[in-house]
Amino acid sequence: MKVSLNWLKEFVEVPVDTRRLKADLVSIGLNAESSQAVGEDIVLDVEVTSNRPDCLSHYGVAREVAALYRKRLAPLEFICKESSAPASAEASIDILNPKLCARYCGRVIRGVEVKPSPDWLVRRLEAVGQRSINNVADVTNYVLMELGHPLHAFDLTRLEGRKVIVRSAKAGEQLQTLDGVSRTLVATDLVIADATRPVALAGVMGGEKSEISDNTQTILLESAWFDPVSIRRTSKSQGLHTEASHRFERGADIEMAPVALDRAAVLIAQLAGGEILRGVIDVYPSPKIRTFIELHRSEIQRVLGAEVPWEEVERVLRTLGFQVERRGTEGWRVTPPSFRQDVERKIDLIEEVARHYGYNRLPSRVRPAPPRLIAGQTRNKELEISSTLVALGYREIIPSAMIDPEENAKFTERPPVPLENPLSQDAAAMRSSAVPSMVHTLKWNLDRYRSDLRLFEMGRVYSARAKGLPEERRVLVLGATGNREPASIYSAEKKIDFHDLKGDIEEVLDCFNLPDLRFEPAAAPYLEKGSAGRFVSGEAALAILGSLRADLADEYKLRGRTVWLAAIELDALLSAALRQPSYKPISKFPPVERDFSLVIPRSTPYGRLQEAIRGLGIEELRSVAPVERRLPGDKELPEGAIPPGHVSLLLRITFQSPTRTLASDEVETQSRRIVAALGPLGVQIRG
Amino acid sequence: MSESETENRIPPKKARSRSRMSIDDKTNKTLKDLDVKTPEAIGELFAELSLALDSERQHLIGEGASDDHERAQKVKALRDRWLARKGGQVSLIDENWLKKAPKELKPTVGRAFNQLRQQSASVETEQLLQDVPIRGSATAHPETTKAEFGVGRPSVDITLPGYRRPLGSIHPVTRVMREIEDIFLGLGFSIESGPEVESVYYSFDALNIPESHPARDEWDTLYVNSETVLRPHTSPVQIRAMKKHGAPLYILCPGKAYRHDNPDSTHATMFHQVEGLAVDTDITFADLKGTLEYFAKKFFGDKIKTNFSPSFFPFTEPSGELVISCVFCGGEGCRVCKESGWVEVMGCGMVHPEVLRHGGIDPERYSGWAFGLGVERFAMMKYDINDIQLFHQGDVRFLEQF
Repeated sequence: MKVSLNWLKEFVEVPVDTRRLKADLVSIGLNAESSQAVGEDIVLDVEVTSNRPDCLSHYGVAREVAALYRKRLAPLEFICKESSAPASAEASIDILNPKLCARYCGRVIRGVEVKPSPDWLVRRLEAVGQRSINNVADVTNYVLMELGHPLHAFDLTRLEGRKVIVRSAKAGEQLQTLDGVSRTLVATDLVIADATRPVALAGVMGGEKSEISDNTQTILLESAWFDPVSIRRTSKSQGLHTEASHRFERGADIEMAPVALDRAAVLIAQLAGGEILRGVIDVYPSPKIRTFIELHRSEIQRVLGAEVPWEEVERVLRTLGFQVERRGTEGWRVTPPSFRQDVERKIDLIEEVARHYGYNRLPSRVRPAPPRLIAGQTRNKELEISSTLVALGYREIIPSAMIDPEENAKFTERPPVPLENPLSQDAAAMRSSAVPSMVHTLKWNLDRYRSDLRLFEMGRVYSARAKGLPEERRVLVLGATGNREPASIYSAEKKIDFHDLKGDIEEVLDCFNLPDLRFEPAAAPYLEKGSAGRFVSGEAALAILGSLRADLADEYKLRGRTVWLAAIELDALLSAALRQPSYKPISKFPPVERDFSLVIPRSTPYGRLQEAIRGLGIEELRSVAPVERRLPGDKELPEGAIPPGHVSLLLRITFQSPTRTLASDEVETQSRRIVAALGPLGVQIRG
Repeated sequence: MSESETENRIPPKKARSRSRMSIDDKTNKTLKDLDVKTPEAIGELFAELSLALDSERQHLIGEGASDDHERAQKVKALRDRWLARKGGQVSLIDENWLKKAPKELKPTVGRAFNQLRQQSASVETEQLLQDVPIRGSATAHPETTKAEFGVGRPSVDITLPGYRRPLGSIHPVTRVMREIEDIFLGLGFSIESGPEVESVYYSFDALNIPESHPARDEWDTLYVNSETVLRPHTSPVQIRAMKKHGAPLYILCPGKAYRHDNPDSTHATMFHQVEGLAVDTDITFADLKGTLEYFAKKFFGDKIKTNFSPSFFPFTEPSGELVISCVFCGGEGCRVCKESGWVEVMGCGMVHPEVLRHGGIDPERYSGWAFGLGVERFAMMKYDINDIQLFHQGDVRFLEQF
């Protein structure tokens, strides 16, 4: 809402400079964001919240300024010089739908001369962002800006039967509105019709047929009150938002209707000549009466935490137009004015008091919340996971959760959640897999010359369900490519591989107490076959990992890079308990290491060796670690040292007892048992 | 006599004399005098010696020396102390412990003694007179002069960068969110969350924003269908939490929200909010003001000034905006605050009685306050970021700055 300072000053004295005025308006909730000089005037840009249609006018803002500076608000008194001919003989008004049109006031002005407006009017309208049309139309706009009540002027001679009927539209009826658009109406649209057809979309926009033209001589001036919900519905269904609909859908002042009508009539007579016919045709079937609200002092105290003096409460409410009647020592009966449809309850009155008393004058206190245990808080677990990942070199990303459903389908069979009004096809659904978001982010960086990447996201995936809200699961996705460490004088470069990712996931899983955790082969639509695996705890699959399928990597143009991906079920992880450390005494006796140089068939996975060794139940066994693995043809070994189809493996086994120093013959005995247990797996001892 | 006390921090000379006393004390006695009778105790005794030897070697390496001569002398001292044929620790152990050990303990003492002897032999063989090579490279820097370093002949090029393993990073939005959470957790609040794909009822109606009210237009909403939306704010969690936990309730709801906004430098389709809610029997506007002032000063620094101005939100009444003095110009006026010296940081207010009722809480008995803030906006203010799109692109050149 643009507010001209000169215009404002016609209704109230402004005792401060513009800078101060803006700050003071902000302090009462009228957000005066900026101001600019327009000629000799200053125009403020005031943001009016949707609950305050009364401030969508100069008079409304003046009322707030009057309360703010304790100044007098000029009363509205407009006296029409009427002719003796009664208006009711020239035109008739009929409201068929009084629920949607509670009041319709009309005046007839005869013998006007439609012509350009005088300079002062043009300037004032332009200052507040309105284009000048002609003197009659300009007056209606002027009154709209001044008093906030939308008016409309019809060319009375163009109304069939000199009649105005307020009714619901018939489905399919046509109306050409002032913006030149031919509109097909629906039954919920409220229209102003003459005897035969609609002539205006009530409260939204007039029609072309009955528009004021240069030849117009007799006008019917409309000042009505329409139901906010109905206007909003019509404005939405017709996609038409106007100054009028903006005010009506927020709630216009029903008592302002005749006042604004008189104001306009006076101005038209002044600027366009003509005679104002006698009387207002005022159809107001059931006048609205505002009921009072009981307000107790204790309630103000209860909400604001402060005593506001009696006099202050009364002054604020009265200057804002409320009727205040003191009730004994405990409170008031307050009747809100007709222009404050937003005030219905005690709390609304308390807000008015607080607003003008000043938020910054109210007290402050800070107290901690009383302790209350609320179960299921997962924040600590999330922190544990993310700090582990940061230590492992992963950077957190937060990509968009919206996706092209076709792309989504390449990663998962779960249905995504399609949007009804997406911004683009790229973001037409809520993803049911977070892996594509990771692939996109890796690509984004690869395309920008960053090639050593380790990223993670803790986010959600969404999938549609037959009934109710979609399912939302929390997931953790890891993505990695390039070198684990870049080459430097301190270390050679080392490419990220499957076991890097596997180890990283093991570190994360190790934060939790996960019973029966095992690792097994797995498959996913987006992972390269044969090199994917998953962690399972009990019945629940916790994490799957592998490399992005080569053809998908090509599709994404990943520059021939191998991209490692893991998807972890965060909900399952977060529902597990954090691992509770439990101290075991540290052995005081020296550990003994034994290296076993093995030749094993390639088809025998390492896991089986480990199982066979662990299966012996050797109490003193501390650890089993693969130290070196060589393939046939290794240059450092004599030719033929490893037969084809085999690999050599150096296994380092550590023994240690908590109670004694191990004797060498003990270690030898156990070593022989280990070799024996490996035999059935086709393992030979080398050298 | 504890070894750990003497490590590194105490000047080496003093440390050595003290540790020598304790070790010399022992090696000059027999096992019997020391009351060592079990293999276990022997193990402990040798472990202590082994540690002492190691730590003395470390001191020597770490200590530095003004020249080769001094260094050579130090090495010699260490060697004499441990390996001298007469009075060296090794020979003392041989004499006093091994030879005088009871028969049944001899093998144990013998094994341990051999290990220690090997370890101490390294004192002899170690190239302590040479530069300590830097890791991964055998290149030393003999040409570096004393003058360049000022502390004598260097053993290492200390101007080479430190060896830093690549660490990851936490997203700035998460950082800010955690910082906010920490402040409120400190005040006793708990964390709540709710669905992002949310019903129209929880997103609007229960928050006193009926379809028929123009206020509804202030949320440009992404729809799944006529009854389901991507939540345009985190406020629905308020209602869910009230229904789930009842009053009194002090919660924080951080999370994602979505708007039908075309992306530009200040708008993102997906963004993060933190919603706060306190409901109790005696909550007033003073609690709202006090808590948010406390929060703003904790987050932005205690130099900022705070201000509350009235506003309108359908779910609170009275409603307000928390305004703080501009963090960039300190209130003088700049581009960021549009020359006003002030910036709006969040919307807040007393929970509307209708909203409490929708949450199943009696507004006659309880009252509450609530706020909602945009995390990206906070991060932009905190880290001087001028484009909201940066948060969701995942560009490592951006992420590595946090």
